[in-house]
Amino acid sequence: MRADVTLEWGGETLTLLPERAVWWAAEKTLFIADPHFGKASVFRFAGIPVPETSHDEDLERLSHLLTMTGAQRLVILGDFLHGKTGRNEAMFATLAAWRQRHAETEMVLVEGNHDRHAGALPEDLRIPCVQGPWCLGPFHCRHEPQEDTDAHVLAGHIHPAFRLSDRMGASLRAPCFHFSARVGILPAFGSFTGTHGMRLEPNDRVFLVGPDSVIEVSPTLAKR
Amino acid sequence: MKTLWSEWFRTKGWKPFPFQEEAWAASLAGESGLVHAPTGLGKTYAVWGGPVLEWLEENPERETWPKKPEPLRVLWLTPLRALANDTVESLRAPVVDLGLPWTVELRTGDTSAAARQKQRRRFPTALVTTPESLSLLLTHADTREKFASLRCVIVDEWHELVGSKRGVQTELCLARLRQWAPGLRVWGLSATLGNLDEALHVLLGGAIKTAKSRLISAQVRKKFELKTLIPRSMERFPWSGHVGLRLLPEVIKRIEKCRTTLLFVNTRSQVEIWFQALQRARPDWGGDVALHHGSVDRKQREAVEERLRAGTVKCVVCTGSLDLGVDFSPVEQVIQVGAPKGVARMLQRAGRSGHQPRAVSRIFCVPAHALELVEFAAVRDAITRGEMEAREPVERPLDLLVQHVVTLALGGGFHEEQARAEIRSTYAFRDLSDEEWRWVIDFVTRGGQSLKAYPQFRRVRQDGDFFSVDQPDIARFHRMSIGTITSDAMMSVRVVRGAYLGSIEESFIARLKAGDGFSFAGFQLEFVRVHEMTAMVRKSKKAARLIPQWMGGKMPLSTQLARSVRLKLAEAKRGVFDSPEMKAAEPVLKIQAAWSLIPEPDELLIEWTETREGVLYFIYPFAGRLAHEGLAVLTAHRIGKVSPRSFALTMNDYGFALATATPLELDEAAWREMLSPAMLVEDILECLNSTELARRKFREIARIAGLVFQGYPGSAKSTRQVQASSGLFYDMFAQYEPDNRLLDQARREVIERQLEVRRLQETLMQAQNMKLILRRTERLTPLSFPLWAMWVQGQVSTEKWADKVRRMSEQLEAEALKA
Repeated sequence: MRADVTLEWGGETLTLLPERAVWWAAEKTLFIADPHFGKASVFRFAGIPVPETSHDEDLERLSHLLTMTGAQRLVILGDFLHGKTGRNEAMFATLAAWRQRHAETEMVLVEGNHDRHAGALPEDLRIPCVQGPWCLGPFHCRHEPQEDTDAHVLAGHIHPAFRLSDRMGASLRAPCFHFSARVGILPAFGSFTGTHGMRLEPNDRVFLVGPDSVIEVSPTLAKR
Repeated sequence: MKTLWSEWFRTKGWKPFPFQEEAWAASLAGESGLVHAPTGLGKTYAVWGGPVLEWLEENPERETWPKKPEPLRVLWLTPLRALANDTVESLRAPVVDLGLPWTVELRTGDTSAAARQKQRRRFPTALVTTPESLSLLLTHADTREKFASLRCVIVDEWHELVGSKRGVQTELCLARLRQWAPGLRVWGLSATLGNLDEALHVLLGGAIKTAKSRLISAQVRKKFELKTLIPRSMERFPWSGHVGLRLLPEVIKRIEKCRTTLLFVNTRSQVEIWFQALQRARPDWGGDVALHHGSVDRKQREAVEERLRAGTVKCVVCTGSLDLGVDFSPVEQVIQVGAPKGVARMLQRAGRSGHQPRAVSRIFCVPAHALELVEFAAVRDAITRGEMEAREPVERPLDLLVQHVVTLALGGGFHEEQARAEIRSTYAFRDLSDEEWRWVIDFVTRGGQSLKAYPQFRRVRQDGDFFSVDQPDIARFHRMSIGTITSDAMMSVRVVRGAYLGSIEESFIARLKAGDGFSFAGFQLEFVRVHEMTAMVRKSKKAARLIPQWMGGKMPLSTQLARSVRLKLAEAKRGVFDSPEMKAAEPVLKIQAAWSLIPEPDELLIEWTETREGVLYFIYPFAGRLAHEGLAVLTAHRIGKVSPRSFALTMNDYGFALATATPLELDEAAWREMLSPAMLVEDILECLNSTELARRKFREIARIAGLVFQGYPGSAKSTRQVQASSGLFYDMFAQYEPDNRLLDQARREVIERQLEVRRLQETLMQAQNMKLILRRTERLTPLSFPLWAMWVQGQVSTEKWADKVRRMSEQLEAEALKA
């Protein structure tokens, strides 16, 4: 059973999707963060074997999201590429073909630390790279989360995750959306990415991402 | 010339034991072998004599002895860096006294880069090193040439290596050295083991068929004495939270009487607890009490070892980290707190005192609870009967093979056929299939079997049938990953702007907030923050109750000792209480008999009782904690397959417990079915998929196979981009490459090592022929209480748990008094 979560935040309505994206319906804008394309190649270049397929599936998921939502704009909150040694023709060809499928969609990359290291995207991808904070309505788009006065910040970088445990000692760890009053952090979009366990401050809200649903963790469960 | 060596022995006031003379002769005759003897009998010189005598025979005239030091002749492998220093000193003694033109040097991970460089230009006559450092040497193409004069390899403390992956690493290195020098002699040193013949075979591998070899045994029985502190009153209802601290005053009295005491406890956490307790009870002792365990920083450990040698420390609280053969002659007394777990281990620890060849090994045992009294009595019996544990060698670990193949490619390259034959000459890989070999080669050359999926992969380069590494960064990466076998998701602990204190599991650090206090390495500390893979702390005056836990520190009760325990219990059932320990345990055992029963060796007891929380089932196979973990998971899984329900599981060395909400409708026949050995492996594999066990095991495998590179504190940023957790790799492979053999290995290791499937299987086979006794008890019994207490521990916070358990134990004590 698919379950999205609708969240009122910054005076706007956002939908948190289990595909690890945020959908802003009013502006037909889709946000994702940290896909880390080419990460498998970076590893292979260093002599560490990693299956390539994960990136292909990530692109499929992104295509599916764009089609499903009918998004007119895609905002990538940084770390589109993983590293310099991950740049290769095969990957850019795949990306170009994918871009062609969504030629009508406007795409923007807010530069992340990995993007800086990996170098610029080919022009023909038509994904302009901007510096954060990049303003969109009430939102400031950034890669690294940071509070801005008079704005609600959407960011990535952290790869947030949260651990739940039950009385019997069983526990479960999953990527999550993490929202405080002024900063919303998206889970990493890429499936070959690690996660960082979050600690909760009072009034923080955490939404766990499962295979096909997003579930808010109640404050009592989150209390440790 | 033989006289020179014998003369030296005499000047030391020693008379050679027959086993030493046998070893010298065998080595001179070009044989290989394994020498086993209790600690403190002169094993070192038994094998050192061979190469020395050989040289003396070749150089009979002192006048013609070369002025320059002789080139490399002997490689001495030791499992512990801590041992290496001592070894160098022991080996040097005759060299110096006889004026031999030999050099004896150390090479470990701690040797400075400059010294290592110098050694590689010209090796000493005898090089003392670790398996990891030897493996590293093999990555250099010129090592073969530099090792051309090597005659003999000696592997010290082989019993410590033989059951581990480091043992396999040693086997692989030895295979390489034998390939270079077919006549190479290899000698192992071992404490007594239950499978010495196998240990010899593992050491020599395929060479056992061609080379002359022998097992040499010191037919000298060391005198051994085990005494137990019998408490005036003994709690009948033991729980794991107790670590024997109630007996602290009596232990202090014992420590007072002796100049130097080694106080062994079973886990690193208990070291911290006992150390703190001693400090509080005897502040006047101050720095005269020290602690030692595997996670304390090396410098601090070495300082403590130095003080032990010098006899300037009154008491050292320690774990197995001091089990190994360092000679601490000043140690007058050895105390063991808590369960002995194994026969060999007790002998080894006792051997820490009376290290001189003809002295008596004495160990003084402190039970943490009543059932441990039985274990101590059982240990004494087992030693008297000469029963000893075996160490099962590790079979075909492909992660290590991946690592080693890259080592070979880097160390000058290899031809496929020849390398495969070399690797198959080891015991561990004697049954390596062509498919497995193919997989490993594909893995290092292409990254996996599917060629097209890995276009940019580069690690080992293939030209025809020749394999090599030509990328400097791959070489660097590989060298950095060798030798990290033992580390397991550990984080260094360091005082802000100060010294390293040691390492703690990452998961413990992850739970701390800034300002949280904990005690570690004997200090009260306050957590500051994590910085570059290091936990920064400050020393604090506040007493902290938090103590780190380390995984994997707990050894299971050995099969040999378990059998002996069951025999003691059977005696008790017949009313025989023949030792002080058993007499002291009598009241508890009588309660067990009255409220339930004491199982005979051919009886499998299942107790069950209803409590407010649910129904609890306690099953006692006496197979050790690891096998019980497997049995608990298996039984819960099987019961759940018939009718889905959830269980809470606990286990200890005697049995395991299942807690569930409503009674199980299982009669004796149904229980038998749940405990049947049929379909065991299939069922366990099914369980594994639903638990985290295999995923967790993958950590070590990913590290050894060079998938995960754990940056060192302050390591270069360039490595950060290729850091991913082993869990992520596990998930990626499980999803996209489910036939990856490293996943398979993770499952196999969990099954064979962690859950001790062989023991589990034996237990279930035996259970088939045992009388199954299902007993409903009104209340918890001495056997079930500790399992219940562990279950409660998983549910509530620590303080509440202690309260609840104490209340319960008082209640049961009252019931017991009435009875």
